[in-house]
Amino acid sequence: MTAVSDAIASGAVGERVWFYANYHCNLTCSYCLTGSGPAVARRLLDPALMVELAFQARELGFRSLGVTGGEPFMVSHMPDTLATLANILPLVVLSNGTLFSGPRLERMEHLRGLPISIQISLDSPDPDENDSMRGPENFAKVVKAIPKLVDKGIKVRIATTQEEIGEEALERLCKLHRELGVPDEDHVVRPVISRGRALTAGMGLSAGVENIPCELTISADGAFWSPFGPTVTNGDLDLDLLISRTVNPLSIAANAAVGLATGTSAGADATLGIR
Amino acid sequence: MAVVKLLETHNAPLLARPFFQDGDPGPIVRALAQTPELLQAAAPLLGTIFGPTSLDPRTKEVVVLRTSALAGCSFCTTGHSAAALDAGLRPAQVRALRGDGDLETAFEDDRDRELIRWVDEMAVGRSGIPEAVQSPIQGRFGDAGLVELALLSGVTLLLNRFSTALELPVSEDTVARLEIEGVL
Ligand code: SF4
Repeated sequence: MTAVSDAIASGAVGERVWFYANYHCNLTCSYCLTGSGPAVARRLLDPALMVELAFQARELGFRSLGVTGGEPFMVSHMPDTLATLANILPLVVLSNGTLFSGPRLERMEHLRGLPISIQISLDSPDPDENDSMRGPENFAKVVKAIPKLVDKGIKVRIATTQEEIGEEALERLCKLHRELGVPDEDHVVRPVISRGRALTAGMGLSAGVENIPCELTISADGAFWSPFGPTVTNGDLDLDLLISRTVNPLSIAANAAVGLATGTSAGADATLGIR
Repeated sequence: MAVVKLLETHNAPLLARPFFQDGDPGPIVRALAQTPELLQAAAPLLGTIFGPTSLDPRTKEVVVLRTSALAGCSFCTTGHSAAALDAGLRPAQVRALRGDGDLETAFEDDRDRELIRWVDEMAVGRSGIPEAVQSPIQGRFGDAGLVELALLSGVTLLLNRFSTALELPVSEDTVARLEIEGVL
């Protein structure tokens, strides 16, 4: 057992390591934590580094991986990289679900049978309400893509991000996802977090290290406390949840995360006598 | 304005937060916070070297101020001019260490003159320190003292280059005080 696997076993540190593959996206959702859009800085994470860190994560005792963005499928290597990662540890990838057509959809064949699920955002059973947050045609594209992915033997989860959702709307949404082939256990409803574009727009719940669980997250800018860490507000990367700039070896950030999560961070009592 | 963003309490990374809990930790820490794991490692070293040690504060400020002045670091020279006054150096001595005034006139004491000669070799020399300069210092301070002086001047040079490269801003309050005390 390592200190990291102990912390995972005790629940102090989450069992999943997240990778921010990229920050660009074909959409510009109103609550986007990363302020993503087609023209933002891409902050690409090298796929070879992701694979190397995934092996290290498994060695350290992490049990699963997550890939997020931006829209990860904007990056051309993604289906192949996901297949490689899923052969190391089970994987969830977060996607807006709007790019699964033509050759991109065909390449998803590489993922058939692997321990991978694609978590697709769908925020409302009403196309207009959904599209007002996520952009024109979003609802139609997502509803079309999900059964195609399910047909390819790929597990699909649905994530609904809402400031508030009424019971009746939730019921209709659940009916819809069941019809699309996604069972109840694969539907998550989560609040808007007030970071990134949501913060600028005055939306969502404030959250900090005290109430966000530790899930080690690697981006092109460093290692962060959680996937809610490397957000972008008004074009600037938020650093308040940065753990370290060093991401390789992963043990440096993982051990620092354990120290922070268990309150034994070296330096917590350090003082500096210079100004 | 510094060429990198100097972090503040509200955006200090997790490992850097302890250094912000008593207020503004100053530009060096605010810059180092960009790489929190390096700050975490560097802070205890810097804190120990520049904090209380076996060398008296006045001796240390002679070394740090003279090194910084020779390295052309306006950030460290300004801050340590004030620290040198606090450590008991007279304004004329501070001016002389900064290169503005005659050292022989400002420092009557042989110990100070030998130390300044040693710092001058340490800070700008390209080879070893000449025997005639090193010997009196080793005689006065012993092996441990010489090691500490070399470390103090060496780490000051590191911070001089760091602060100059990143254009760390000098404190306006400190500049105002140095004007009032006749250093500037
Ligand atoms: S929330 Fe997701 S889909 Fe929407 S802009 Fe951000 S990254 Fe793109």
